[in-house]
Amino acid sequence: MNLIPEFDFQTVFAGPWTEDFSSYGWIMLMGFLVATACGLVGNYLILRRMALVGDAISHSVLPGIAVAFIVSNSRGSVAMFVGALVAGIVTTIIIETIHKRSRVKQDAAIGIAFTSLFALGVILISLYADKVDLDQECVLYGEIAFVPLQESVKFAGHEIGPVPVVRMGVVALVVVALLIVFYKELLVTSFDAGLAFSLGINATAVHYGLMSMLSVVVVSAFESVGAILVIAMLILPGATASLLSQRLPAIHLLTVLHGALSAVLGTHLGLWLECSIAGAMVVVGTGWFVLAWWVHLLCNASWFRRARQIRSEPDPAHALS
Amino acid sequence: MYERVSKLLELGGPAGIHLSVHGTMSFCRQNRGWTWRRILPLTAILYLLSVFPAEAARIGDLSETSFWGQATRFFTFQDPAVRYALLGSMLLGISCGLLGGFIVVRKMALFGDALSHAVLPGVAFGFLWNMSKDPVAIFVGATVAGLLGTGAVHLIRSTTRLKEDTALGLVLASFFAVGICLVTMIQRLPAGNKSGIDKFMFGQAAAIGSGDVKLMAVVTALALVVIVLFYKEFLVTSFDPQFARVSGFPVQVIHYSLMLLLAFAVVTALQAVGVVLVSAMLIIPAAAAYLLTDRMDRMLMLSAAFGLFAGAVGSFFSFLGNNLPTGPCMVLGATFVFLGAFLFGPQHGVACRWWKQRSRSGRVRRENTLKAVFHVMEQREFTDEKVSLLELAEHRRETLEEATEQCAALVANGLATLSEPGELVFLTPEGWARACEIVRNHRLWELYLTNEANIAADHVHEDAEKIEHVLGEEVVRQLERRLEFARKDPHGKAIPGLADISRGTGFHTREDLVGYGKPL
Amino acid sequence: MSDTSDPNPPPLEIHDLTVSYHKKPVLWGVDLEVPAGKLIGIVGPNGAGKSTLIKAAMGLMPLNSGWVKVFGEPVKKNLRRVGYVPQRESVDWDFPVSVMDVVLMGRYGRLGLMRRPTREDKDKARECLEKVKLLPYANRQISNLSGGQQQRVFLARALAQESDLYFMDEPFAGVDAATEASIIELLHELKEMGKTLMVVHHDLPTARSYFDMLLMLNMRVVAFGETSKVFTNELLQKTYGGRLTILSEVADAVRQAPSV
Repeated sequence: MNLIPEFDFQTVFAGPWTEDFSSYGWIMLMGFLVATACGLVGNYLILRRMALVGDAISHSVLPGIAVAFIVSNSRGSVAMFVGALVAGIVTTIIIETIHKRSRVKQDAAIGIAFTSLFALGVILISLYADKVDLDQECVLYGEIAFVPLQESVKFAGHEIGPVPVVRMGVVALVVVALLIVFYKELLVTSFDAGLAFSLGINATAVHYGLMSMLSVVVVSAFESVGAILVIAMLILPGATASLLSQRLPAIHLLTVLHGALSAVLGTHLGLWLECSIAGAMVVVGTGWFVLAWWVHLLCNASWFRRARQIRSEPDPAHALS
Repeated sequence: MYERVSKLLELGGPAGIHLSVHGTMSFCRQNRGWTWRRILPLTAILYLLSVFPAEAARIGDLSETSFWGQATRFFTFQDPAVRYALLGSMLLGISCGLLGGFIVVRKMALFGDALSHAVLPGVAFGFLWNMSKDPVAIFVGATVAGLLGTGAVHLIRSTTRLKEDTALGLVLASFFAVGICLVTMIQRLPAGNKSGIDKFMFGQAAAIGSGDVKLMAVVTALALVVIVLFYKEFLVTSFDPQFARVSGFPVQVIHYSLMLLLAFAVVTALQAVGVVLVSAMLIIPAAAAYLLTDRMDRMLMLSAAFGLFAGAVGSFFSFLGNNLPTGPCMVLGATFVFLGAFLFGPQHGVACRWWKQRSRSGRVRRENTLKAVFHVMEQREFTDEKVSLLELAEHRRETLEEATEQCAALVANGLATLSEPGELVFLTPEGWARACEIVRNHRLWELYLTNEANIAADHVHEDAEKIEHVLGEEVVRQLERRLEFARKDPHGKAIPGLADISRGTGFHTREDLVGYGKPL
Repeated sequence: MSDTSDPNPPPLEIHDLTVSYHKKPVLWGVDLEVPAGKLIGIVGPNGAGKSTLIKAAMGLMPLNSGWVKVFGEPVKKNLRRVGYVPQRESVDWDFPVSVMDVVLMGRYGRLGLMRRPTREDKDKARECLEKVKLLPYANRQISNLSGGQQQRVFLARALAQESDLYFMDEPFAGVDAATEASIIELLHELKEMGKTLMVVHHDLPTARSYFDMLLMLNMRVVAFGETSKVFTNELLQKTYGGRLTILSEVADAVRQAPSV
C-alpha cells in the first residue's frame, strides 16, 4: 500500500539525464514539442475565445483517425493526417450547421458535436480493435512512455529519431513557420474581424486555416498525450503566459518556456510517482499556472491599493477628467 | 402544496413531476398532447417499478449468444443481472435530462463538460478511501472535486482577465490530468489493478451494483422533488437573473443549488456513462427537447424522456456488443434522438422548414398561374369562362409544355379542370375565388403604394408581385377601408370585389359588365 | 435619525454612491433624493453610468462606497416596492417561455419561495397584458414578437409587480414611434397613480417633452431638477462635455425653441 513511492534522487532526477537519457531524452523532447506546438496554436484560440473549439476538435479527431486506419488498413502518418483534417473540418461544419440552422446556441452545439463524434470514435476502436491499434487508455492519456520504443526514421543512413518525435518536430516547425508568415493576418482577424475585412484579409480562410492547423497539431500529439490532455497542452501555456504579459511576442516566448519546463519537470514527476508521464506534465503545467495566477493576484493587489489611494483623494471627479 | 407533495411521493418519479408541473402551467390552456404527457411518464414509472425488486448477479455469467435471445433477456428481465444495469441507466437518463434542460437554456453546456471532467480526481480519492468501489465514498469525493472545479472556474474568471472559455478549458484539463495521474497510480497497486476503476472513464453499465442503483434513485428523486418545488425559482433565475434578484430571490443560492444537483447527477452517472462523455447526457437530450417545444415544463419532461430512452438504448447495445463501453452507446442513442429532432422537428426541424418553403414556392407558382388565367379572361372582358393552354402560354411568354405543367398543378390542387382533349382550362369556383383574391391583392397594393406612399405608378408592380401572395384577409380589409373601397387600380383596371369572388366563375354577359364596379 | 421618523420617506435616496466596473470607476459620489410621484428621465452620454446607477440603486452591483435607501429602508428590505424593466438585450428571447409566463414572473416576487401563482396572479397578469395590448399574444413563445412587443412584455411584467418605484433601462430602444407614444402614455398613467418612475433615456430631444424631471449624469450628477429648469444649454454642455456632435444640434434647437 504505497501510493506515493519513496523519492529516490538517482532514478527521478539523475537517471533521465545520464544512463536513461537515450529514452527519457526523447520523451522530454516529445513533451516539449507537443506543448510548444499546441501552446502556440492555443494562444490564438484563447485570443479568439475559441478555447472550447480546441476541446471539441481534440475529441473529434478520434473518429477521423479510426476511420482512416480502418479504411487504409495501415497506421501511416498520411492516412492519420488526412483523417484528422477531415474530422476537424467536419466538426467545424457540424457546429456551424447546428448553430445556424436551429436555435441551439453555440455552446450546446459544440457540446453535441464533439461528444457524439468522440462516442462514435470510441465505439469504432472498440469494434475494430484488431485494425485500429489504439486502445481506450491511449485515447485518454496517450502513451508518451512508449515513444522511444517506436521505430526510428532513417535519413541518409543516419537514425534521426523515433517516428512520432520526428513527425511532431516537423509539425512544430511548420506551425512556427506559419505563425511567423501569417502573424499579421492572424493578429488582425483575432482582434477585429471587421477591420480585417476592410483590409482585404479573408477572415473565413484564416479561421479554417487555423482549424486545419489545430487538427494537424492535435492529431500528431494524440498518440502521446491523448484526446483530453491535449486540451491542457493547448490552453495551459497560453493562459499562463497571458497572465504574465499582455504583449503577443512575449506571450509566445513564455508559452515555449512553459512547455519546456512542464515537459522536463513533468517527466521527473511522472518517474517519481510512477504515473502517466503525460498526465504529470500537465500537472506540472497546472502548477506553473497556479504560480502565475498568484503572481498576477499579487500585482493586482498592489494596483488595488494604489487605486484606493487615488479614490481617497479630495476631489475624485478631477482625477478622472 | 402538501397534497401535491404527497401525490408526488405516492407516484414517485416522472409521474409526479408531470402532475405538478401540469398543474402549474395549466393556464396555458393547451390540452393538445396531454395524453402523451400523461402516458409516457406513467409507462416509464410502471416499467421501473416492475423491475425494482431485482437480485443481482454478474452479467459476465450470461452465456446466451443469439441476438434475439439476448434482446428478450434484456427487456423481459428474466435475468436479474441485467436489471441493475438497465434501471441505473434509465435513472441517470432522467436526472441528467432534467438538469440538462436548465444547463442548455442557461447556456452553460460547456460548464457541464468542465464539471464532469473535473470529478475524476474525486473519484480516485473516493476509491483510495478504503481501496474499494464504495459508491458513497466515490460519490462524496467526486462531488467535492466537481464543486472545487466549479469554484476554480469562478475564481479564475473573477480574478484574472482570462475569459470563461479559457477558464473552463483550464479547469477541465488540469483536474483531469490530476485524476489521470491518480488513476494510473492506483492501477499500479495490487488492489487497484482489479478494481475496475478504469471503467469510470467510458462507463460500464454492467458494473452497476445495488448500492449504485439506490444512490441513483435517491439523487433522481431529489432532483425531481427540488425541481418540482422550486420550478418557479429555477425558471425566473434562468430567464432573467437580474430581474429575479430585484424580485427578491436569492439568485446565488438557487444557482449553487442547481450546480450541486448537477454535480450529484453527473457523479451518479459516472459508473454507467463514464467521466469523458457524461456531459453529453446533459446536453444532447435537453438540446433535442429544446428544438421540439416552446415551454420550459414540456422541455424538461421531454428531455427526461429522451435521457431515459438514451440510457436504455445505450445499456442495451453495450450489453449486446461484447465489452462495448456503455457511455458511447448512450451518447449515440441520444445523438440519434437529437438528429431526429433537428431534421424532423415540427416547428424548428430543418426538413420541415425545407418542406414548408417548398410548398410555399409551389403555392406562389400556382397563384401566378391563376392570375395569368384571370388576365386572359379579363382581356376578353369575361365573355368566356374557358382559357386555352395556348393563350395562357402566349400571355406568359412561355412554352406550351410549361403552361401544361402549371395547369396540371392547378388540377392537382382542385383549382381548375381540363377539358377532355386537355387543351382548355376551366377554373373551379375555388380557383376562381383564389384568382380574384390574388388580383385584388395585387391591385389594392399598387393603389396603396401610389396613393399613400406616393410611389410612381410604373414602379409599384414589382413590389405588388411579391406582396400579393402574403397579404392576409385582415390586412386586405384594412387596405380596402383605407382606400375607401376604390374599384380601379392605378393602371385603370378594375379591382375584383367580394361579389366577383362569390360568383364562382369568370363568365359574364355583356350586361353584367356594364354594371361592373357598382354593387350588384 | 430624521430618516427613520419621517412619515413619508422619499422613494429613493442615494448618498455618496461610488461604483466601479472591472476596477474602472463608473460613478463617483452620487447624491440624490428623488421626490415621489414623478416621471424622471436619466440622460447622459454613452458610458456615463446611467444603467449602472439604476442597477446600483437596486442592489444589482456592489457599491464601493455610499448607501441607497428606498422608502427610507435599505433597498434589500424594500425590494417588493421596486419594479424593474431591464434592457431588452439582457435576456435570451429564444428561452422556452410564453408571453404569459414572463408576465407572471412579475408576480413571483410577492409569492415567495415554493408557492405557485394562484388564479388571482394569473388574472392580474392578464390584466397587465391587456393594458399593453398584448393579451392576444399571451400564449406565444417570446421570440415570435416584434421588438416593440417584446419591450411591452417587459413593461407588462413590471406592471404585474405592482411596485411604487420603477427603474426602466432604455424602454424606448429599438421601438417604433407608435409604441413609443403608447409606452409614454402608460408611464404617465402610472405616474398619475402616484408611482415614481426613473427611466434611462438616450434621446435628448424627446427627453425634454417626455419627463417631469431630468437627471443629467456623466459619471457624477451634473444636474437634477424640473425639466424646464435643467434643460439648459449650459448644463447640457456640462453633461455631454462637448464630446458629442449631437450637442451642437440640440443647442441650436434649444436656442430656437421658445423657452418652456
